[in-house]
Amino acid sequence: MLLSGVDRNRRLLTAAAGIVLAAVMGLVLIAGFRLATQIRANVGTLQQASELEAYPSAISEQLTALRQRLDTLEYTGHVHGELASSVRGFNRDFTALEHQKGIDPTAMRAAVALWTNYTPVLAKVLSYHGEPYSDTATNSSLSRSGRVFYAHVRRAELFAQANAAALHRELAVVSASLQARTAAAASRLRWLLSGGVLAVLLLGLAAAYLQVARGRGERAARDAQDQTRDILATVREGFFLLDADYRIGAVWSQALTTMFGRGDFAGLTFEELLRDKVPTETLNTAMKFIKLLWGERAHENLMKSINPLGQLEVTMDNGRGGKETRYLQFDFHRVMGPKGVKHVLCAVGDITSSVMLTRELHEAQENAHSQIDMMVGMLHSDPLQLGSFLDSASAGLKHVNAILKEPARTHAEFSKKLSGLARELHSMKGEAAALNLMSIAQRVHHLEDMLAELKARSELTGNDFLPLVLKLDELLAHLRGVREMTLKLSSLREQPSPADGTLSTPALRVPTAGPEELASTLQSLAHKLAEDHGKDFKLALSGLAQCPPAYLGMLKDCLIQMLRNAAVHGIEANEVRRAGAKSGGGQVRVDFRRVESGYELTFEDDGAGLSPEALKEAAVRKKLLSEEQAAQLDNRAALALIFKPGFSTRNEVSMDAGRGAGMDVVAKAVYGLGGRIGVSTNPGRYTRFKIALPALGETAVA
Amino acid sequence: MLREEELKTFVDGTTRYFEVAAQQPASIGSPYLLEGEPAMHDYTGMISVSGKREGVVYFTAPRAMLTVLLMKMQESDFSHESMRDLVGEVANTISGNARRDFGHDFVISVPSVFAGEKPQISQPTGARAFVIPIHWRSHSAKLVVSLT
Repeated sequence: MLLSGVDRNRRLLTAAAGIVLAAVMGLVLIAGFRLATQIRANVGTLQQASELEAYPSAISEQLTALRQRLDTLEYTGHVHGELASSVRGFNRDFTALEHQKGIDPTAMRAAVALWTNYTPVLAKVLSYHGEPYSDTATNSSLSRSGRVFYAHVRRAELFAQANAAALHRELAVVSASLQARTAAAASRLRWLLSGGVLAVLLLGLAAAYLQVARGRGERAARDAQDQTRDILATVREGFFLLDADYRIGAVWSQALTTMFGRGDFAGLTFEELLRDKVPTETLNTAMKFIKLLWGERAHENLMKSINPLGQLEVTMDNGRGGKETRYLQFDFHRVMGPKGVKHVLCAVGDITSSVMLTRELHEAQENAHSQIDMMVGMLHSDPLQLGSFLDSASAGLKHVNAILKEPARTHAEFSKKLSGLARELHSMKGEAAALNLMSIAQRVHHLEDMLAELKARSELTGNDFLPLVLKLDELLAHLRGVREMTLKLSSLREQPSPADGTLSTPALRVPTAGPEELASTLQSLAHKLAEDHGKDFKLALSGLAQCPPAYLGMLKDCLIQMLRNAAVHGIEANEVRRAGAKSGGGQVRVDFRRVESGYELTFEDDGAGLSPEALKEAAVRKKLLSEEQAAQLDNRAALALIFKPGFSTRNEVSMDAGRGAGMDVVAKAVYGLGGRIGVSTNPGRYTRFKIALPALGETAVA
Repeated sequence: MLREEELKTFVDGTTRYFEVAAQQPASIGSPYLLEGEPAMHDYTGMISVSGKREGVVYFTAPRAMLTVLLMKMQESDFSHESMRDLVGEVANTISGNARRDFGHDFVISVPSVFAGEKPQISQPTGARAFVIPIHWRSHSAKLVVSLT
């Protein structure tokens, strides 16, 4: 749990107060102990001093008793002994008192002075050891030494009577000073003890406060833990932390279990989490990205923009023994610590529905766009041309399906299909583009892309053709839509349109085009090609009306291909033409005529012409020929390369060129009708194709 | 429109049957679109699909192929009933594969079996049928998928 700054400060302050109070308690106890020791010493001294106070009067009384005994000639030994004992006791206690501290020095000095005067007087009394009486048979009397002794006793008695009060007084002052000192110490001790009790109380309060705060903190921590657990169990995103070894931390959100179908995330590396779910290459890229996140200089926003896991396609077990594809979105946020990046927080979202929805939306939008494009194209097209195109497209796709239907088991058999399919589709694309039916042209173009991709494979099986047949189905459905719309447009124009069948579904038929429509189609294609490729050229058509209906379809296919070739390869850009001293715009001339042997079509453009060397280089580049084979070709054979399947001088494929299926289609169509095709060229000047077709009912030798 | 992964599920279900039952995988031929009446072999096992997609999926095979398949499965009963059961099993495997991959999105019927007689197949309107030739040893059968 995270403590707020205020809470932390409060707890630190309370702990500091506790320490200070404990220190104070220690000091109080030490000071109290010392004071108590001092008081105990003072009390002892005071007792001594009090006892000393009794001595002056006792000594005085004992001296009086001694003198009285001497007066009555009684035994003095006992009293003398007591006196000696009192003086010794006083001397001992007084000497001890003299060295005590805190005694009023003036009184002590006065007492010492008085006792000093006592000492010689008493010494004379105490030093007597003789027999004070002399006895006779009749009476007793003081002996000579007894009289001296008596005199000393009497003097001492008088001295004591005279000074006992003063000595007592001085000793009383000493006692009083000691008493005052003891009282002061006792008072200090009382205060000290009060302070100690207060400190203990405060310490108790601080401890109680800390305990309460700790209890509250623990409750708050438990609440926070519960809340965190609830959040992690409820949130729909997967959350976890990665450490510097790219391992997942001990805490993660429950959603991860559903997303990854496992529950053992703690300690799992990021690589282990995604292994077997994404391709190795994707995993490697992901790991490189994760490593970058730990770099101190990595900019998080910049990193976000290059996140390769923004939409990750993963393959998961679907819980029924199968696999399913899901889309996960990984977001990464760096958690910074004092020493740099501490953790990386990963947020994982399952965006499968969103991706699917986007895809469907995109498809719907594309469909809508293609429908609009189609409508626009159809509105600009002549219904007759459109009908002709739809007929030939349906026939073309029927042929495509027939090629697919031919049995195949080996790579060679599958591979053989590809060339035939490419030729059919290429013609269809050209026609669709000529009619500006771009939605159809693009679909065919996509199919051509798929064919090109299959062609590059070293091993082909029926599985590889599954996507192709699905696309073919899609194209057929699209054509059906176009046909239905054409019919509706025709009915709007009040042109009755009888229905007919195509492939396996009931379809709708529109009228077939004639030479005039063909001319119009070619002109609009020329216009479009000039626009698309930034070329400037004019198309001159003559004699198309002489074309018999039987050749019209073939003528259209061939002219479309040749016109596209002329626009892409033949006619130069304006600046190139100017540099070559040619007139501004290019010219493409088409002439169809009846000749003795049948019919002749001439197609000529005044463009760059064909360079045999360039053709040979392109053939080598496309691996249609080896360098040695190319070197052996003469100019005539080099020009014939343009009719080879898969030949193109273009490296990149576009809508109009690059497939290498253009002149191949033309040649096949011409040969199919028993015709011949020839090409002549003058590099930098022109390219001319001559196609000879047999008269109908005859068959020429190809 | 039928998706590639959906078509693959049905194809895999069929080829898997041969792999598991006869320990000899089947390969698929060049797929194409069905024109006109469906071409049926001697025995046909069919499932109907509803839910996310509507239509039928059927496996149709010649008697010769089924006989060899039964032999490979160490069966000695080559009766009409055995043949019917066999195409029914293939249809069932296809159905299981689809359930596994599509879950509740697809509602799949119990397989129905036709032999000799022309089956009543009601293709959904607007759906074209995909024919996928199934090659096994020297024999060929067909898997037909017709779903909207």
